[in-house]
Amino acid sequence: MKKLAESLNPAERKVLKVLNNFSSFYDIMKATGLKDIEIARTLQWLQNKGIIKVKEEQKETVSLDENGQKYLEHGMPEKRFLESIEKASTIPEITRKSGLSNEEAAASLGALRSKNAIEIEKNKEITIKLTEHGKHLLKHPMPEENFLKENFPKELGTLNQEEKFVLEALRKRKRIVKVELSKSISAELTETGRKLLKEKIEDNLIEKLTPSLIKTAAWKGKKFRRFDVRINVPSIFAGRKQHYRRFLDEVRQKFVGLGFKEMAGPLVETDFWDMDALFMPQFHSARDIHQAYYIKEPKYGKLDENLVRKVKDSHENGFNTGSKGWRYNFDVKRTHRHMLRTQGTACSARMLASKDIKIPGKYFAISRCFRYDVVDATHFPEFNQTEGIIVEEGLNFRHLKSVLKMFAEEFAETDQIKITPGYFPFTEPSAELHAKHPELGWIELGGSGIFRPEVVKPLLGKEIPVLAWGIGIDRIAMFKLGIKDIRQLFSHNLEFLRNAKVV
Amino acid sequence: MPTITFSLKDLQHLVGRKITVGEIQELAHYGKGDFEGYDEETDEVKIDFGDTNLPYLWSVEGFARLIKGILGMQKGIPQIKINKGDYKIDVDKSVIKCRPYISCFAAKGRKIDDYLIKQMVQLQEKFCESYGRRRQKVSIGLYSYRRLKFPVHYKAVGPLAVEFVPLEFKAKMNLKEILAEHPKGKDYAWILEGFEKYPVLIDDNNEVMSFVPIINSNFTGKLEIGDEDMLFEATGTDEEAVNLAANIFAYALHERDFDIYSVEIKYPDKKTVSPDLTHEIIDIKNEQISRLFGLELKESEVKNLLEKAQFEFTKNRVKIPPYRKDIIHPYDVIEDIGIMYGFENIEGYPLATFTHGSTEKIHDFVDKIREIAVGLGYQEVMSPILANKDLLYKNMNIEGIGTIEIDDCMSETYSAVRSWLLPNLMEVFSKNKHVEFPQGIFEEGLVNHTKGDEIVENHKIAIAGSHDGANYTEMRQVLEYILKCFGLHCDIEEAEHGSFIEGRCARAIVKGKKVAYLGEINPIVLSNWGLEMPVAALELNLTELFEVMEKNKKTGEFEELQ
Repeated sequence: MKKLAESLNPAERKVLKVLNNFSSFYDIMKATGLKDIEIARTLQWLQNKGIIKVKEEQKETVSLDENGQKYLEHGMPEKRFLESIEKASTIPEITRKSGLSNEEAAASLGALRSKNAIEIEKNKEITIKLTEHGKHLLKHPMPEENFLKENFPKELGTLNQEEKFVLEALRKRKRIVKVELSKSISAELTETGRKLLKEKIEDNLIEKLTPSLIKTAAWKGKKFRRFDVRINVPSIFAGRKQHYRRFLDEVRQKFVGLGFKEMAGPLVETDFWDMDALFMPQFHSARDIHQAYYIKEPKYGKLDENLVRKVKDSHENGFNTGSKGWRYNFDVKRTHRHMLRTQGTACSARMLASKDIKIPGKYFAISRCFRYDVVDATHFPEFNQTEGIIVEEGLNFRHLKSVLKMFAEEFAETDQIKITPGYFPFTEPSAELHAKHPELGWIELGGSGIFRPEVVKPLLGKEIPVLAWGIGIDRIAMFKLGIKDIRQLFSHNLEFLRNAKVV
Repeated sequence: MPTITFSLKDLQHLVGRKITVGEIQELAHYGKGDFEGYDEETDEVKIDFGDTNLPYLWSVEGFARLIKGILGMQKGIPQIKINKGDYKIDVDKSVIKCRPYISCFAAKGRKIDDYLIKQMVQLQEKFCESYGRRRQKVSIGLYSYRRLKFPVHYKAVGPLAVEFVPLEFKAKMNLKEILAEHPKGKDYAWILEGFEKYPVLIDDNNEVMSFVPIINSNFTGKLEIGDEDMLFEATGTDEEAVNLAANIFAYALHERDFDIYSVEIKYPDKKTVSPDLTHEIIDIKNEQISRLFGLELKESEVKNLLEKAQFEFTKNRVKIPPYRKDIIHPYDVIEDIGIMYGFENIEGYPLATFTHGSTEKIHDFVDKIREIAVGLGYQEVMSPILANKDLLYKNMNIEGIGTIEIDDCMSETYSAVRSWLLPNLMEVFSKNKHVEFPQGIFEEGLVNHTKGDEIVENHKIAIAGSHDGANYTEMRQVLEYILKCFGLHCDIEEAEHGSFIEGRCARAIVKGKKVAYLGEINPIVLSNWGLEMPVAALELNLTELFEVMEKNKKTGEFEELQ
């Protein structure tokens, strides 16, 4: 009980103190001087603490309408009508003098006649005279006038017989009173509440610990008001990383952890690095204008022409790899054609031809790639590819298998994998990696293989085993992020971004 | 991408034993295909052979052949009997310029039914569209030779020289009309672009059989249910591919119990007999098997595996079946040895060599900046890199410069590579007008523009705040704070930029490099995006800032040495 008393905030204390005498919402409001929204909130809190029980009842309440308010201030029209009869006698004159509208004048006329306060004489003109009763009424308040002075809003049930009679009469007139069905809220003390009231309710609790309280040590010997720590608080949002990018950051860290070095390449590539260096013949269907994004200007890029010659040979006659090559006329101009990167493997090709390559070496890249696609829930013209190579003398398919198993464990959280034959123009052998994801079932996780000599020898200058792989990371990302629509990877919905799951 | 459909019963018939759907799933992998499904009601199996280079598998006959090899029901290269036919085709020198090669054979002895026509048409379409490069490299025609008079003439003629009724049409048309009006003519007219004469096949009665590679004649150029004889022809620009088409079809029809008859082809300078079933030979070495797969195999094991894959093997010499032209290097054969050995039977070896993992330096730098932006309370966003000029310039109230545009683009939305990032942020604001304010967002990413005939790629970061009090001061504070974190400071100069309010736009200069724009967004721009809340923004070039820092590091070291 003591703890409860200490947990009351100032508003609660204020309300609680008047609850012995008052129970209706309106009365509490008047007694405490708090605003209605504050009372509503405070009653809710008190009820949550089991101190009161809030009751809601439907009631008919009477209150003054627009004209009623006006008449309360300026007097009832029939009174003003009566007052003007002393100065004039015809209806238009009385109306003008009293400042009433025609409608009000007509209503007053009717009301006064029924009260027997006036006489109407029909001569040449219609004239109006006060009766004795009328003269009496002029000096004394009428029941309607008294009624208006009541305290509104008033519950219909509390009116006496006479008041109800007046109310009925007034309701027939225009916008003087209104009777509405309203919710009436009242609070009743519970057992706990009544006990609590008998306790000493401390007023001298510290609400907020301020710097000055700390400095002056004035908090010593006082109590802090207890908070209801279980109560809900308004939500906030913070600045944070984009959900998908954050996921990709983590993938990057994983590769570094596995001993891979990051590679990068430009978004705007040439046919050479994107395809030709990878031994994809120039007649390959992936190179159709409507498969890849070729750019308008500048149409052609600069290349190491010595390297171009070797790749040309590789396509035409296999270079000196023991291959027949593709046996067609390699278009040297076309190989310079600018396009947007279609596959991350372009980065691997660049690395193989780079002076900086270290052998043995492990390399990876997460790269944005572009391919024509009609946009829907599962297709988007941009995506991120995770690709890489492992260059080391003596490596073969057996090592590739264990590398793929490691990726399945890292990215699909499974050691159940299937490696099946596949086809890529740049690898021989080629293999597809399927993994049994704990929740998605069997999924195609990526492609892999050993780079063909026709790829390696022109770029690297010698034939060394190069294990190559690519992982479809977007699918794993969508699963982890709980996303069904691929477009949400690039979502512009701020509410979604602020609340997206961190994985 | 070839996906083929066939009847399971038919497959079982061709293989000669029962095959379960489960077995098909496994067997498809040997052909580098993926099982797509089986419909019990129609008995239809679907297999996707994706982007593969083995067109002989794009028909049920080829797939059945592969299975017989895997199951050991047939060893080595399957035999095919070619009867000598007395059919002749005369090739006129006029076709040499546009479509010089033709292959041909006749098949008879069996009634053609609806299912067979469907299978043949399926293989024909997959082959021509994919391997045949949309009919440009190879196109195929099937005829009933009953209606033909030999010798057949293959020649090129002027667009108005001949006319015939094309398939599914009623009226005669000349070649020019077909290209302009017939649906197939419109689809494939591009192949003949630039040629004055077009290739046609005409029989000895002067009846046009086909306007290759466009459309056959409605009279001579079709195969019907009940026909018992068939003429196959393939034309194209690549002799090997044209011959391969004939070999694949000849094998398939032979396996369907047709008798195959050869056709003599008379070129202006030589005579050949088609189909050409010469076997190619390639030599492999045992150490190549261990180099690629880490397998040490005895010669007999190698022989056994190669025979399963339907090669023949004697003393390192591999004979290749005539329906395969994908073998260009010994490794292509070695792969098949590995496939037949079974990828699952090859034990994995762990990597043993230690290598040092690391990230790209610029990415590390970019990540530090992102971390600061997050700490300052901004929400990161990520947008597509593909954009368009309206978004990049028109809405931003500036003139475009050096934009990289997509050639022959199909979607206006994705018609250019973004040259700056702020438009992406404005787009985000425009989509979130009813979301709680203040809104603070940033994006880090790659942008591209051209400079002369060079392409310049930069990492940039754009940061923007949108709320009642968004102003220049906020952005200036953010920029200075970021720079301070790296021990840098900037000079500020007044700048003019259509996206910003005049007099409230600045450029920041670090070590002589203009690295950033910042300021309050012009109300014109706000209204272009339909925004009612002020926006202040900055865009900082991280690539340049990184270069400045790297240079600074080096000269700093130099100074210390002195």
